[in-house]
This record gives sequence, C-alpha cells and structure tokens, in this order.
Amino acid sequence: MKTTSFWKEFTKGIVISNPLFVLVLGLCPALAVSTSVDNALGMSIGVTFVLLGSNIIISAIRKIIPNMVRIPIFIVIIATFVTIVNLVFHAYVPSLYESLGIYLPLIVVNCIILGRAEAFASKNPLLHSIADALGISIGFMLALLIISFLRETLGTGSLSIFGARLFTLPILGEHPMAIFVLPPGAFLLMGLLLALLRRLGVIKSE
Amino acid sequence: MNNLITIFLSMALINNFILAKFLGLCPFFGVSKKLSNALSMGVAVTLVMFIATVATWLINHYILIPFDVQYMSIVIYILVIASLVQIVEMAIKRTNLTLYNALGIYLPLITTNCAVLGITLINATEAYSLLESVVCSLGGGIGFTLVLIIMSGIRERLELADSPMSMKGLPVALLTAMLLGLTFFGFGGMI
Amino acid sequence: MKTTLKKIFPVIFVTVIVFMAVALLSWTNSITKDKIEFQEEQQIQSMLGEMFPDMSRYAFEDDIYTIYSDEAQLGYAFLALGKGYGGSINILVGLENETTIKGISIISQSETPGLGARIGGSSFVGEFTGLSIDDVALKQDGGQIDAITGATISSGAVVDAVKATAVERVKSLQEKE
Repeated sequence: MKTTSFWKEFTKGIVISNPLFVLVLGLCPALAVSTSVDNALGMSIGVTFVLLGSNIIISAIRKIIPNMVRIPIFIVIIATFVTIVNLVFHAYVPSLYESLGIYLPLIVVNCIILGRAEAFASKNPLLHSIADALGISIGFMLALLIISFLRETLGTGSLSIFGARLFTLPILGEHPMAIFVLPPGAFLLMGLLLALLRRLGVIKSE
Repeated sequence: MNNLITIFLSMALINNFILAKFLGLCPFFGVSKKLSNALSMGVAVTLVMFIATVATWLINHYILIPFDVQYMSIVIYILVIASLVQIVEMAIKRTNLTLYNALGIYLPLITTNCAVLGITLINATEAYSLLESVVCSLGGGIGFTLVLIIMSGIRERLELADSPMSMKGLPVALLTAMLLGLTFFGFGGMI
Repeated sequence: MKTTLKKIFPVIFVTVIVFMAVALLSWTNSITKDKIEFQEEQQIQSMLGEMFPDMSRYAFEDDIYTIYSDEAQLGYAFLALGKGYGGSINILVGLENETTIKGISIISQSETPGLGARIGGSSFVGEFTGLSIDDVALKQDGGQIDAITGATISSGAVVDAVKATAVERVKSLQEKE
C-alpha cells in the first residue's frame, strides 16, 4: 500500500503533471538556461537539490509551522537552500556558475518550488514529499533536456557535454540556425513543443 | 549622462526583461489577455522594482558589503521584496482605493515575480551606483510594461482568430512572443 | 498566559528558523570561501600565462599584476571594467612596458550574441596587441581600433575601459618609481 502511493507521487511529476509542459511553471529559468545541455543539467541539479531540501524540511516541520507566517518561512527555507547551491556551484563548478548567471539565484522565485511547498509538502508526510520532489525534479529535468538538446543541436550544429564534443551535424555544423540559441528561438521551440505534445495527446489542450 | 541613456535603452529595449531575459514570464502569459490588466500589472511591477532597487542598494552598500556578508544577499533580498510588497499593498489600500482595486490582486503575485528579484541581482552583479541602479530599474520596468501592453493588444485579437486546436492559448502566445522578440532584436543595432 | 504564548509563538518560530538559516549559511560560506578565492586566482593565473607565455611567477600589488620570468620583468597586467549594453565587461589587459599594450582578453561579458558578443572574438581582441596606449581609441575618434559593425557601443565600452584604466595604472606605476 505504502510503496504504491510512493510510486504514484513519484511518477505523476514526470508526465501527468510535468512542471514545464503541463503546469507551465518555471518557464523563466527553463527558457533562459536551455541554450546548452550543460546549462540545462546544471540548472536541473540546482532545482532538484533545492526542491528536495525544502520539501523535506517543510514536510518535517509542517505540523508546528504557524499558519499565519507560513509563506515567509517557506521563502526563508527555500532561499537558504538556493544560497547553498550558489556557494557550492561557485566553489566547485565556476564555469557553470558563470554561465547560469542570475538564473541560479532566481531559483528562489521559481514557481515550482514555492508551489510544491504550499500545495504538497506542507500537507503531506515526509516520504511522500520526497517522492513528490524527486518526481517533479525529474520531470523538470527531462523537459529541460529536451528543449536544450534541440536548441543546442539546431542552434550550433553540434552537441558537447562538459567540454567533450559528442557529434557535429553535417550541414548544420557549418551553417547553424543561430536563432535557436537566441532568445526568440526559445519561445519558438517551446511553443512548437507544447503544440506538438497537445496534438499527440500527451497533454490536454485548453 | 550618456552612460545613463545607454543603460536605460539597453534595459528597456535591447535586453528587454521579457523578450531577452525571460524575466516575469508568469505574469506575462497570465495577465496579458486584456489590455487594462496589462497596464495595471506593468505599473505595479515597475513601482515595486523601483522601490526594491533603492532598498536593496542601500542594504547592499551599508550592511552587506561593510560586514562582508554578501553571501546572505539572496535571503535578504527576497525578504525585503516580500515585506515591501506587503507595505506597498497596505499603503495603496489606505491612500487610494481606486488604485488598490485596479492593482490589488496583482500585488501579492509580484513577490514571486522573477523580474523584481532579477533587477536587484542585476544591479548587485553590475556594481551600479545608486543613480545607475534606479535608471536600470526604471528602464527594465518600462520595457516590461511596454511589451506587456503590446502583447495584450495582440492577444485580444488572437482570441478571436481561428487557430488550430492544439495551438490555442499558450503555444500561439509563445510564437507571438518569438515574433516580438525578433522585432525587438532590431533595436540591437540602435546606437 | 496561554494566549500570549499563542500570540508570540509565530514570532519565536520565525526567529528560530532565520537563526538556523543564518548559521547554516555562514557554515557553508566558511567551507566554500577559500575554494572560491582559489578558483578566481587560478583563472587569472591561466589567463596571464596565455598572455605572457614565458611567465614563471607574478606579484599582485595595488591592483597591478607584475609578471616575471625568473628575475627578468616581462610586463604588467591589470583588470578593467567596461560598461556595455548587456552589463559589465570584464577585461584583462597586459602591458609590455609603460606605453605599449601586450594584449587584452575578455574575462566575462553578457553582450548580445551575434552582435556585441563578438568583442570576445580574436579579430577584435587582436587589434589591441602591440598598440601604444595613446592609439587605443576607435578609428572614428582618431584611434587605431576598428569598431565591430553594429556593435559600436560594445566596442567603445572595451576601448574606453582599456584606455582609461591603462592611463590610471601607468600613472600609479610612474609615481612609485
């Protein structure tokens, strides 16, 4: 009984309520840092850590949080985890820290995290909150990887992960469609992906 | 003076918050369905951005830097913004009820608007002076409002258009944003 | 008694949470601080090494890096900060002597991709190599540097920052002698 519901909370975040494609939350970091797969991975790791940490803490103290001040407390907890991610990235992966720029601290106001704290972790037991955090994070990561993979390959004609060049496309490699790594390309790709997923019936139309 | 104009134009048009930096997308797609709402939201965001910029600049330069605790900046900034939004909300409610009715529902949303935290972080990383920070925040806010208004004008008509089922709503709004972004790219050559 | 406790409990709770957050953060900061400084130092060192291939060591004093190969002095380097379209542009400037530029490199920038961002390209950066500090100005202003088409502001920001900082640093070098 317990494992099935754990599994249910875990899987729902990946497809049924995928944060990016279905709930359309956290669009701002998703579009801004999806210029390369590296950045997307870095961002997802940051979001996973913060979401997991804040969900665990908030779920653990959910019974003693005074209702009146719950939102400021959520914000303090989330901001603390975001600062830890910032310091650790700055110290150990400086190049990633540089290229994520202000979008790393902006995880604080990512609607996904405050949304899960308010809607899930503050009402559900610890184990379920962990499952929820992991599911949502993996859903976010998958969505971000799809977008960044398309943007990097179309926009630069090649794909490299952490400095290692994986492949270069024949014609695109010489004449990349640079618009895809530019901001308008992010809107284009996200719009087309959403429409495609709706057409295929993966997610519901409005 | 030249420097200030560059900062203003850069923030308002070339590095537009919505189209180039992707800041404040939630209200952008959420509120941009009606022209009047878009204007109110834009004004509210600009106002909070301006106040937050002044407040965080003072905190940064008189508390965080002297005591060498800049690593606390994220926590402090977000708390300052959250309390500022509360204060602004109360102040508007007391002084001008019509304005409160127009802006009221948007104010609480602004706390989690990335544009506001974004502007304070940009000012901190760029090490702008107080005047430069203020110009930067006004440029950002006005650019945000401008795009929000343009977008809502387009979307009001788009609602009536016969777009394919799977494109309705958000996808077509995203494509519109792409076209707007491309248009604003033209400002990049403006010097 | 019970009602007052109920009233002040939220305040105590928030204080405790904030206190714990501050403690956790200052602990994390104390761990990562040295590492961050070390990383930044390493980045500068590798960039200086590229600019002065014969460098064996360098000294840092009063915002100026002095570059040595064993005992011989190779030149100086310093950081300059330009204000471009997209924000600040961090530049490392190398000097061969007190009048000539050894080379520059862009450490970080956030200019428009495809336009201003080309200031990082070797064709623009290369223009500075071997130039006298007096000649560091855009051609339209009577200098030697070709501005990048469509990115006059970004080009100008780099030029202005390099020139202004170079003049300042050379002055402080001469004062010391």
